[in-house]
Amino acid sequence: MQLKVFGKGFNFSQDGPGNRLVYHLKGCNMHCPWCSNPEGMLCDVGDFYILTKDELLSEVLLSKPMFFEGGGVTFTGGEATIQFDSLFEIIKALQENDISVAIETNGTSKKLSQLFPLLNHLIIDLKHPDSNKHKETTGISNEIIKQNILLAAKSGVDLLIRIPLIGGFNTHPEELNRFIEFLKSIKGKNVKVEVLKYHEYGKDKWEKCGLEYKMKDAFVPEETRISFEEKIKSVGLTVIRT
Amino acid sequence: MYNVYNSTKVTEKAKALFKEERAKKRVDGWFIAREIVANKQNEFKNLSKEMRAAKELEAIVTELPITISDNAVFAGSQSDAFARSYALINPSFRVETFSGYCDPTAVYDDIEPNEEFTEQRINKVREFSKNSAYVKSLSAVYDKYSNYTEEVAFFIEQVTGHIIPDFRPALKYGLAEILKTLDKNIAETDDDYKKDNFKSIKVALNCAVILANRYADIAVEKAKSANEKRKAELLLLEKTLRKVPFGPAESLYEAIQSYMLLWEIMCLEQAPNPFAFSVGNADRIFEPYRAADGLSREDTASLLKHFLVFFNVGDRSWAISQNLLISGRDIDGNDLTNPTSYALMDAYFDMNLPQPILSVKLHKNTPDELYAELGRFFFSPGVLTPSLFNDDSVFEILKARGVSNEDLADYSVAGCQEPLIMGKDNGNTTNSWLNMPKILELCLNGGYSMITGKEIKKQDTPDTLTLLKNIREIFYTTLNSYIDEMCDAANGASKAVSELPVPFLSGFMGGVESGYDMRDTENQGTKYNGSGCLIHGLSVLADSFVAIDKLLAERPEDAENLIAALKANFKGYEELHAFLKAAPKFGNNILVVDNEAAEIANKVSDMVAAHKNYLGNPFRADWASPTTHLTYGYWVGATPDGRVAREQLNYGVDPLYGEAGGGMGFRMLSNMRLPFNKMGGGYASHLGIDPKYFTAESFEGKGIDFMRRIIKPLFFNDAMGDKVAPFYLYVNVTTPETLRKVLADPKKYAPSGVYIMRIHGTFVNFLDLSPEIQQDIIKRLDPASTTM
Repeated sequence: MQLKVFGKGFNFSQDGPGNRLVYHLKGCNMHCPWCSNPEGMLCDVGDFYILTKDELLSEVLLSKPMFFEGGGVTFTGGEATIQFDSLFEIIKALQENDISVAIETNGTSKKLSQLFPLLNHLIIDLKHPDSNKHKETTGISNEIIKQNILLAAKSGVDLLIRIPLIGGFNTHPEELNRFIEFLKSIKGKNVKVEVLKYHEYGKDKWEKCGLEYKMKDAFVPEETRISFEEKIKSVGLTVIRT
Repeated sequence: MYNVYNSTKVTEKAKALFKEERAKKRVDGWFIAREIVANKQNEFKNLSKEMRAAKELEAIVTELPITISDNAVFAGSQSDAFARSYALINPSFRVETFSGYCDPTAVYDDIEPNEEFTEQRINKVREFSKNSAYVKSLSAVYDKYSNYTEEVAFFIEQVTGHIIPDFRPALKYGLAEILKTLDKNIAETDDDYKKDNFKSIKVALNCAVILANRYADIAVEKAKSANEKRKAELLLLEKTLRKVPFGPAESLYEAIQSYMLLWEIMCLEQAPNPFAFSVGNADRIFEPYRAADGLSREDTASLLKHFLVFFNVGDRSWAISQNLLISGRDIDGNDLTNPTSYALMDAYFDMNLPQPILSVKLHKNTPDELYAELGRFFFSPGVLTPSLFNDDSVFEILKARGVSNEDLADYSVAGCQEPLIMGKDNGNTTNSWLNMPKILELCLNGGYSMITGKEIKKQDTPDTLTLLKNIREIFYTTLNSYIDEMCDAANGASKAVSELPVPFLSGFMGGVESGYDMRDTENQGTKYNGSGCLIHGLSVLADSFVAIDKLLAERPEDAENLIAALKANFKGYEELHAFLKAAPKFGNNILVVDNEAAEIANKVSDMVAAHKNYLGNPFRADWASPTTHLTYGYWVGATPDGRVAREQLNYGVDPLYGEAGGGMGFRMLSNMRLPFNKMGGGYASHLGIDPKYFTAESFEGKGIDFMRRIIKPLFFNDAMGDKVAPFYLYVNVTTPETLRKVLADPKKYAPSGVYIMRIHGTFVNFLDLSPEIQQDIIKRLDPASTTM
């Protein structure tokens, strides 16, 4: 039982609540052109290392004093669920040791709901309300993602839906309205939404990976975010910023 | 006094006074003081050494030229007690040539002769100094141990300064009361030695009255030609000086004036080496007077600005490492932050001076307000940042050192970070310095230096494999034999210093009760006494042990090559070098090496503490390396952890720069495994903080974030159970790029000419530093260790 990891480190409150030890797992089934961790996209290419269940567990237990303010472990990527079976076992082991576990996922795993009972926090990205447009840009359609969001909301797991606003991709008023249409169907006190704005923190990494960064003019005005957040609130959902 | 002044005017004057001080390119007062002493020798030769010291001080305060600046609100100066010689801010400092402060007459080389201070005049005083019992005795010690100190297997130092005097009774009751007690003690004791000491202290304390009256006379004289406004100010000053420090202070203005004169004389008594005296909790010292006056925060701050300017000497603020504390707790855990704490913070922030150092005592009940107010210090570029102490831990450690409950809240820090009790503790803090990686080098090479090939102390060495397999045992045994010699040498230096009694300071260190000088090496004059040992190279040693283990386990066939590789500084052994570099390193939350570091710290602290000083008290393990991680590293060959020859050692208890690549969280976790309960002499630790991780909009918000993300996890972490938590930290909140920009274009980034950074326990004007120290600060920001 082992994971391919391409990065790890503590982060405060941005990957789930409190101070969290974040593991970046290798491999992704999408190819979003704005990805801030492009080195994680390919499964067996680039620098990574293998962490066995025991190694990871021991590192996490040694790190406990730093899980302050409700912190714990977060698995992200790449796409955390690409290594689903190992991830499942490791999360189970962490839960047995009372470690708070979060995952950040693109929501495309058909088996995602198996993890719900084991998670303290679940963060799912929804990148576009339209399935075709979603597939065109990321390589995968959004049906399963939406389905997973609905299931998660219903399951009672602490769920954060993250919508990254990318200029020229998903910020047209019509597209924003379609996000809202979908969000309307979600209920539950366990659900929160966060709206993120396009950034270029990963741009240099694309060049380092020998890849071309093709995004242009994708920055989004703060007003767009604020008005979108207001609309989300108006359908009864809680909006947070981390 | 606010009939005469208003706070805006007082602040303006403080700023003008600082500007005036920074324009001073010469500080010759210390030399004049030494010359006065030299000229009086025949007159005093039949006196006891304590009385001679008192009379010398009396001659200095009587004859030394003194002035009152037009910008002065108070009388008093430290400029006559310090020389322009402190290494870190001396542009001529070079790592490769710095040999410590072992020649007490070297200071005479730091005066540039001119028409007034001719070479002949300088030489005369130098010769007098060279022939003194102190210098002769000290030189004999250095000569005896030079083989060890030249390449710094260990180093020793005569400790001057580094004390926290307790001036509170003098402020409250006036010197008059203390003089009365001395008269009573003189009358009552049958012990002639004590009687003479009491008398010496009396003569010395009276120097404050002489000096106050001299300043008062100047004030009167100046008032004659001053305009009406200044005249009123000068007459207020005169009236105050006729009253304090002889009589009790009854207002904040009087208390500050009284304190400054006492401090001035304390420094003159040790000129030119009164480094690292500390004030202690200035907020607690002055708060009763502020409260009695009912002064506002703003008015209090304005007066305290003059108090802060007083600690700056000459063009580079040469009086370095003078520490001033605020906040903290009492024995019951109650917070002692008071309005003067906040006023002091305002004074510091507005003035942003290179001295004195600000330290803040924290504890688990420190109010959020204090953290919020600290935000502006940490997150304004180029502004001083306080060092931080954890009272909850320090109290435990001091208790273990035998400090009584009633004294705990009075701990203060001498110089950088060594905890001492105000008015009661002669910790002799920088007395001895131990270089563990050098001793490892000697163990691996039969006692010969890998740097020069010189025999330091020959030792029998088994074959390489046996040596490496038993490296810990061999190292600890060897280390202990070096500690034996180091402590002998250090005690020799302390005995040399006792040739220079300090009756004035002893008056505020328990001498009025004990009847002994605080430097007496045969009778303990202070309630607490010990000697410091600064232990270097913790993580280099831990990483080296673990790298050796890995080599033996994984590539035993290469083990034979290790020593040759070290001697060749890895030239021709690049592959082995890469293997050693890749071994686990302290600072990354890797248990095997973190535990190794903890064990070393445990064992070596115990070994040091088992050694006795001149009074039979333990040496105190102090895991600090005030820039000596550079100067000592220069004398250490390549080490098994992959560190190359002459590279710096790790700083204090920190990982070697560049080795904690896993970020702040892992770095803190490794740090928290160390046995802080054993570090009774103090320790040093620094974190480079990248401001980009603190995104709150206001300084207050950033201050709270700093508390939540750095201080609470490190100092007050519930998950650590009963383990004594870390108790000291300083930070630099910036990035290497920012500092490079400041160096490249100081006019743009530091228009005032002052850009404060921290280097070990003190802060300094980054622009005043020698280039190698500037680069060390940049290096140790260590970006990979700052990710959060």
